[in-house]
Amino acid sequence: MIRKDELLKIFSIRLRTLLSKTLLDFELLQEIRLRVDAPLLIKYDNVEYFMDMEGVLTQKVADAFIISKAEIKETMEYISNYSLYAFEEEVRQGFITIMGGHRIGIAGKVILEEGKIKSMKYISFINIRLSHQVKGCADVVLPYIFRDEGIYHTLIISPPGCGKTTLLRDVIRQLSNGTGINGKGTYHKGVQVGVVDERSEIAACYMGKPQNELGIRTDVLDCCPKAAGMMLLIRSMSPAVIAVDEIGLGEDIEAIHYAIGCGCKMVATVHGGSIDEVKDKPLLGDLVKKRVFERYIILSNRGRVGKVEEIYDERGTRLYLS
Amino acid sequence: MLLIKILGCMLIIGSSTGMGFLFGSEIKKRIEDLKSAKTFAILLSGDIRYAKTALPEALSNVARRHEGRLRPFLKRVAKELDSYSGTSLYEIWKRAVKEELTGTALTAKDKENLLRLGESLGNLDKDTQVVTIEWYIAQVEEDMKAVSADAKEKIKLYRSLGVLAGIFVVVLII
Repeated sequence: MIRKDELLKIFSIRLRTLLSKTLLDFELLQEIRLRVDAPLLIKYDNVEYFMDMEGVLTQKVADAFIISKAEIKETMEYISNYSLYAFEEEVRQGFITIMGGHRIGIAGKVILEEGKIKSMKYISFINIRLSHQVKGCADVVLPYIFRDEGIYHTLIISPPGCGKTTLLRDVIRQLSNGTGINGKGTYHKGVQVGVVDERSEIAACYMGKPQNELGIRTDVLDCCPKAAGMMLLIRSMSPAVIAVDEIGLGEDIEAIHYAIGCGCKMVATVHGGSIDEVKDKPLLGDLVKKRVFERYIILSNRGRVGKVEEIYDERGTRLYLS
Repeated sequence: MLLIKILGCMLIIGSSTGMGFLFGSEIKKRIEDLKSAKTFAILLSGDIRYAKTALPEALSNVARRHEGRLRPFLKRVAKELDSYSGTSLYEIWKRAVKEELTGTALTAKDKENLLRLGESLGNLDKDTQVVTIEWYIAQVEEDMKAVSADAKEKIKLYRSLGVLAGIFVVVLII
């Protein structure tokens, strides 16, 4: 459930007033895009709209509310809690996660140091992607993840914006709490889950406290690089399952091998449209070819966000088709 | 009649001596407030340097640990920042400098330095933040040194001047 007042306070006063006037259902709000001297764009229930001066959605660009430079500057001040320095690493990566787990993508003039991105200034483009916790969205996939003893190593494959983090979050919650406890569905005992939440998107920790429900047996390592975090969790919290979002770097792959070698089960997500696409990725492809993951869940936003299209096993046998 | 004259003279000398002592104590108070400003800046710098704490939380932490006369100022800035009131950091800082430091002995120059610190807080990278705070600490130290160097003499001077001024006025009147 999105807390409207909490979300609105990151906007400049003018935008705050405009958005508070709107009668939109914030649960269907997916994206708010601000660009200097460009119209305010809203992605609502999978459709893109402009917003007019009265907070009403429109398809006419001529009626759209135009974002000024001052609007962006003021909004950035609130997004960063008046402390852009506290988000140096996030700015370098191009996004900031705020209370509630919403991800703010930013773009502007990049400052380089020895060829590497050091910081960003003149931030002129902001994309606010709203995080939604959808409890129960993993119900479809859980029967394919569970095995007699524990779970299968699982990789969720999805293009951006198709709900892979939302699905991962619910998988974590249900693995951690256990299922069928109240006699509903198949009984599975809850397991210790360790989450490395590099971008604070899964748990959306605010001052150390998860804002999203991740289950009673879940430990969260917030803002920690995935590879280092996985090692740390194995040493410190002995999880049965490790969950990470958006793997891809070489060090992530190494850490996955290490975690699996330590007897942990992996649940991870990756950008992609199909298993073949992931197979073609230089580092991740090896994991697929070596059959490290035993379940592949393919998502799309066909019809609705987070639609589970197909589930495959490690040999490429299709177990589920929507 | 003589008794009234003596009483009047005593009153004049007493009040001018009091004035002398008051000016002297203002110097002491300013040194205390500068020390207080230095302490808050060191604590803030630590919170930013080592924990990258955001300003509202860092200032609130500092205010909790701080016991000087700058505490109301810090508390107010932290509270207003935390409320996302729609006012810029500098505006909040400026208003708090103006309204919450009236009980201190900080001079216009001290407040000007504090304002300049507020102007640079928030937006830049961590290293620049720390450098800015260190600059402020250096300014405060310099001022403290200058005030402390001749504080004793000045306090003595103010007190003596107070007494002497009283006697001078009495002599003039008599």
